[in-house]
Amino acid sequence: MTDIQADLAGPLSVARVPAAARQRTTFTVQPWLYLAPALCLLMMWTYVPLVEAFQLSFYQWNMLPTAPQRYVGLTNYQRLFALPEMRAALWNTLFYILGLFPMSVIIPLFVAIWTQDLEGRARTIYRALIFVPMIVAPVVAAILWRWLLNEDQGLITLGLETIGLGRIGFLTDPKYALATLTWITGWKLIGFSTLLFSAANAGINPSYIEAARIDGASRWGIIRDIRLPLLSPTILLLSMMTILFGAQWSFAYINVLTNGGPLKSTTNIFYLLWEYGFQTMSAGWSSAAGMIAFAGFAVIAAGCMWLTKRFAVYDN
Amino acid sequence: MTIDASHASIALASAETKSGRTRRFAVHAVMILLSFLSIFPIYWMIVTSLRPENEIFSTSLWPSNPSLENYVFVLTRIPMIGMLINTTVVSAATALLQVVTGLFAAYALVRWRMRLSGVIHGLIALSWLVPFQVTMIPNYVLASRLGLLDTLTGLIVPNAAHAFAILLLYNAMRSFPTEILEAARIDGARSWKILWQIVVPNMGAPIASLSIIAFISAWNEYFWPLLLSRKPENSVVQIGLQMFMTQEGNLWGPLMAAAALASLPILVIYLILQRHVIESFMKSGIR
Repeated sequence: MTDIQADLAGPLSVARVPAAARQRTTFTVQPWLYLAPALCLLMMWTYVPLVEAFQLSFYQWNMLPTAPQRYVGLTNYQRLFALPEMRAALWNTLFYILGLFPMSVIIPLFVAIWTQDLEGRARTIYRALIFVPMIVAPVVAAILWRWLLNEDQGLITLGLETIGLGRIGFLTDPKYALATLTWITGWKLIGFSTLLFSAANAGINPSYIEAARIDGASRWGIIRDIRLPLLSPTILLLSMMTILFGAQWSFAYINVLTNGGPLKSTTNIFYLLWEYGFQTMSAGWSSAAGMIAFAGFAVIAAGCMWLTKRFAVYDN
Repeated sequence: MTIDASHASIALASAETKSGRTRRFAVHAVMILLSFLSIFPIYWMIVTSLRPENEIFSTSLWPSNPSLENYVFVLTRIPMIGMLINTTVVSAATALLQVVTGLFAAYALVRWRMRLSGVIHGLIALSWLVPFQVTMIPNYVLASRLGLLDTLTGLIVPNAAHAFAILLLYNAMRSFPTEILEAARIDGARSWKILWQIVVPNMGAPIASLSIIAFISAWNEYFWPLLLSRKPENSVVQIGLQMFMTQEGNLWGPLMAAAALASLPILVIYLILQRHVIESFMKSGIR
């Protein structure tokens, strides 16, 4: 559910039908038969539910099939906006996203540039190793880090104690819990992002670099004026994914490791939806919060697409 | 920091010069650190899972008497084998269905020029942006109305078509030479025959990529099974793992053994198809 196409050849584009082709179209049944399975499934499990969720956001309902749904108008939205819980969850969502940036974009970008001349066997081995977290299941990743960070016997805790830093409640101290979950989310991404940047970096036409070098450009000058602009599509793509999906990626870790605690310090907007929906059984609130999140992220997505169109440099 | 250091050693430096050697060393240091960070937690999971109970808190890098007792404990305590089979069935079926529905939809969009192609393409792409948490309540209600709660079918069907799959195959099919399609059509071949005899055999690479990604993401899927599952024996391994953690959270040895068993199939696939897996994910995206 939390995926986006990284079609590095260009930004997501909607197919354009040439005007000439459009004119000679006559209605045929066949394409619709081919489209039917996919479209029916998407309608059934995405679009119709989206509309239903929108409707539900104006109702009060405790999710029991026998219980009545009571129309309450905008009350759900008003209540939500007044709730400190909601505001805290939105702030936490922002912290998750900002905290992911170093691991999903900034560090990978510089590691990729820094290690660009690696070749041969060593490169293959590093590639194979740093990719692994990407395919580890979120639940497994959560359990691995829960063990390493365990407050009594975890390896990292023991290590910190040896160097005299004492014990840190990585998952139990409200000061650290959100950072810990962000770290685990980022752990899965850092290697993959590095590989994406490396591939994009290796695809830069070497004659540009050569030309700049002959003109006496410094290494940093080359990075700033040639590499970074030509890497901008990848930078924007990964930033967009982090912004749009970062908070969703952290859901599994929140649910497995902290249940939104301690003191709600790790509850983000998606976890709040889940809590309202399936723990306190208030479908109306959950749907209203969902609509707010959906609208917010849709606006951000549109903004990101615009930014990509405006600022990405393509080497044509 | 990286930049200052790289500035100091000019780019032209070859391996022979001193700064070149320092730089090369630093490059390896960075990559070794990153590799260590990526792989060590998994290594530690395997090592812990092999430690006998009295050694569980040891910090040695390899257990002094490795034993499989943790694995035996997991296999007797929870229906691990059954859940692994369930997960394999769910993941394989999901991957297969995503390939088939994706092929059909992509073929329809490539082969015919329709008035509504743009709209349909947009509709498919936008379905990606709908967070599952937003539609989860109606989805849950629908699944329970269809009697899909606590069934494997319920885990498969909602994921049987995915925007990602359709767009991946669409992009691959678009570069398929239209002359061949035209020629086949003029020869009187039916669209069904063209799809299976001409298009599909030439789409091996994208279909393989999609299958790998779809299988792995279905294997790792957590949220929808969390909503749907009731009994561990009817569920997938991620849910079993979470249940096991909730019940026996501090039995670190067995917990690590369970986590290792749950990741084993994916890690084996990765070991065998390593290059293909990396390439599939890199070419086509994050799931």
